[in-house]
Amino acid sequence: MSKVIIKNLSYQYPLGDENALEDISLKINKGDFLGIVGPNKAGKSTLCKSLVGLVPHFYNGDFSGEILIDDLNTKNHSISQISLKVGLVFQNPFNQISGAKLTVYDEVAFGLENIGLPREKMIERIDYYLKLMDIYDQRASNPFEISGGQMQRLAIASIMAREPDVFVLDEPTSQLDPQGSKEVFNAIHKLSQKDLTVIIVSQKMERLAKYTDNILLLNQGRVIDYDKKEKIFARDDLEELGVRPPIYTEIARKMNLKNDKSYYPINRKKLTDLVVKKYGQNFSK
Amino acid sequence: MLNQMTGGEKMENKKSLWSFNFSTMALVLIPVSIGINYVGKLFAQTLKLPLWLDSIGTILAGILAGPWVGAISGGINNIIYGLTVSPVSFAYGITSIAIGIVAGLMARMGFLKNTKRAFLMGLAIVGVATVVSTPINIIFWGGQTGNIWGDALFGFLRSQNWPVWLASGLDELVVDLPDKIATTLIAFAIYKGLPKRIIILFDE
Amino acid sequence: MRSISLYVDKDSLIHKIDPITKLIYTFVSVISPFIIPTILVSSIFVAVNMIILTLGKVFKKVIPIISFVFFIIITIFIIQGMFYGGNSTELFSVFSLTFYVEGLFYALRIALRAINILLTFSIIILTVKPSILIESLVRRGLPPKLGYVMHSVLQIIPMMSSTANTIMDAQKSRGMETEGNLWIRMKAFIPLIGPLVMNSLVSTHERSIALEVRSFSAKTQKTFLNEEKIPAAMKYLRLVIILIFIAIVVWRVVL
Repeated sequence: MSKVIIKNLSYQYPLGDENALEDISLKINKGDFLGIVGPNKAGKSTLCKSLVGLVPHFYNGDFSGEILIDDLNTKNHSISQISLKVGLVFQNPFNQISGAKLTVYDEVAFGLENIGLPREKMIERIDYYLKLMDIYDQRASNPFEISGGQMQRLAIASIMAREPDVFVLDEPTSQLDPQGSKEVFNAIHKLSQKDLTVIIVSQKMERLAKYTDNILLLNQGRVIDYDKKEKIFARDDLEELGVRPPIYTEIARKMNLKNDKSYYPINRKKLTDLVVKKYGQNFSK
Repeated sequence: MLNQMTGGEKMENKKSLWSFNFSTMALVLIPVSIGINYVGKLFAQTLKLPLWLDSIGTILAGILAGPWVGAISGGINNIIYGLTVSPVSFAYGITSIAIGIVAGLMARMGFLKNTKRAFLMGLAIVGVATVVSTPINIIFWGGQTGNIWGDALFGFLRSQNWPVWLASGLDELVVDLPDKIATTLIAFAIYKGLPKRIIILFDE
Repeated sequence: MRSISLYVDKDSLIHKIDPITKLIYTFVSVISPFIIPTILVSSIFVAVNMIILTLGKVFKKVIPIISFVFFIIITIFIIQGMFYGGNSTELFSVFSLTFYVEGLFYALRIALRAINILLTFSIIILTVKPSILIESLVRRGLPPKLGYVMHSVLQIIPMMSSTANTIMDAQKSRGMETEGNLWIRMKAFIPLIGPLVMNSLVSTHERSIALEVRSFSAKTQKTFLNEEKIPAAMKYLRLVIILIFIAIVVWRVVL
């Protein structure tokens, strides 16, 4: 049932003076939706890069331990091979456009031509994922001339068309406006309905609280905690660890409202229900 | 516990002058360097400078990723211009290639250590550009360059019966000397201002 | 987004000819006047090229390309007319400047050859979509990574130039000197180009990653989304062009 197994992963960048990742070990199950949180320099991006093999193959540096995706050991395979199983989307939508294609439609084809997919299959997949990402109407547009949210959904479509089993997203909405951000999270949610294992780094705690199953809490390259989201967001020391809790959890903490499992509520509905339960009808909307 | 991964131990300053570097970073650098060439010329025109400044990218490509990448960057720069804007560029592709090679070689030979050395590199580039362009000028334009001052000099020297190759060479020199020195020094200044973490990405 | 290409999209006979055939023709048309360097051969090719461009409905667009070299050609006539090494037969004098027949003929040969080259390449420039040209070459053995590089130049240049314009506007509003003496204007150059280079190197880094995770470096044989459709007649056209070239070479060798 384990999709991703990480064993004693440590890594230092070539010019680094300390480890970006320190002895990380964990397992991620197939179909999990995992959120990764932590302050700056926690190692979140580095971990994402390790999952797709950029660490160590693109950056070199000091790498020890191992990452297994099913049976595939990232140390022994090229980024091209690993990326057939693991997809990566990152912050800047602009820089994920290849630059070699003049239309949105052709842009998705780029990653498929590179793996020698037959033409008919390409068309099938491009049509499917453009529609799924709600950008099929833009298929004849120049990929650089669409909105930020559309561009990021194009990046997602370009990666998902290769049908990886694991999808890693490193702060996919940091450079988008609220509308674009909403569009992208909706798209990711759609994708997570299938068997896909999704791993997302984000600062948008409310969204993570809504969509994820588990949370991985990192700090200075180490795993601080790795558990179900309710448990992680119930921690009292999140602020000290450089993580802003979801706002509903914060309100509940201040009002000392725990649910029957002894966790704080993590979304608006659960919070309002608890408030009403404790203080009566006057507080309901 | 920490061991070096993947092929090729990275050895400081022991890169062979001519070693290949066709990593993806080097390849993506090529169109970007051509864009820098284009923008350099654009800024020079906006600021009404009496210089072309259209080779900054080629030289930077050579400096960052070596002579092969510098050469390809220069070559493709002229091929693309030749195919899309002005066929004249095709002929001078060889000059661009030569500039890229010289920048790459001399960077690896240590000519970026200080401004004085960078100036020498600029002179070398001027020399190579002149020597390579002159035969092209002679074949296509009878020895002229299209630059008013250079061609005036050419005309004058020919009126005094100086040999074609010499008159043409001096014509080209007049055009290249200020322009390529300025270009090299600008590329040097930009390079010096780049953070190490960016430069290291281009090492093989 | 403005493309840097001058390609003109028209429905003409010439547009229907495939890029490879045009490349073969370009080679023949450019090289032949060097093989037989007479005014006659150059003139024939110039005339043929003008006909081709007219059939392609793009003749008017050649004017900007030619005007590039108009000025230098005039100066060539002037300088060679007066100072060409083989000058001996006086043609006319103006003020105290003497123009000779041999020099003017030399200038004419140069001018015709230059115009021929420009017209020939204009056929490709104006009637071939650059992306189709590059893809045709990749299908026939051009390394795909090199094809990628050429494709992306076409898009990256307009992108960087609009970034450049944004930077210029920003700097102007901060009081950048675009007027003033030479030294002031030169000092303004580095603060313009420095940030742009830095910016583009960061995007180089990120774009490389984006390419890698889409199997850019994979060794598999690549496939193409677009289909290439070359009319069978093109084979004959290419044959004709090659035969003409062989004839020219033979002519030169024999005579």
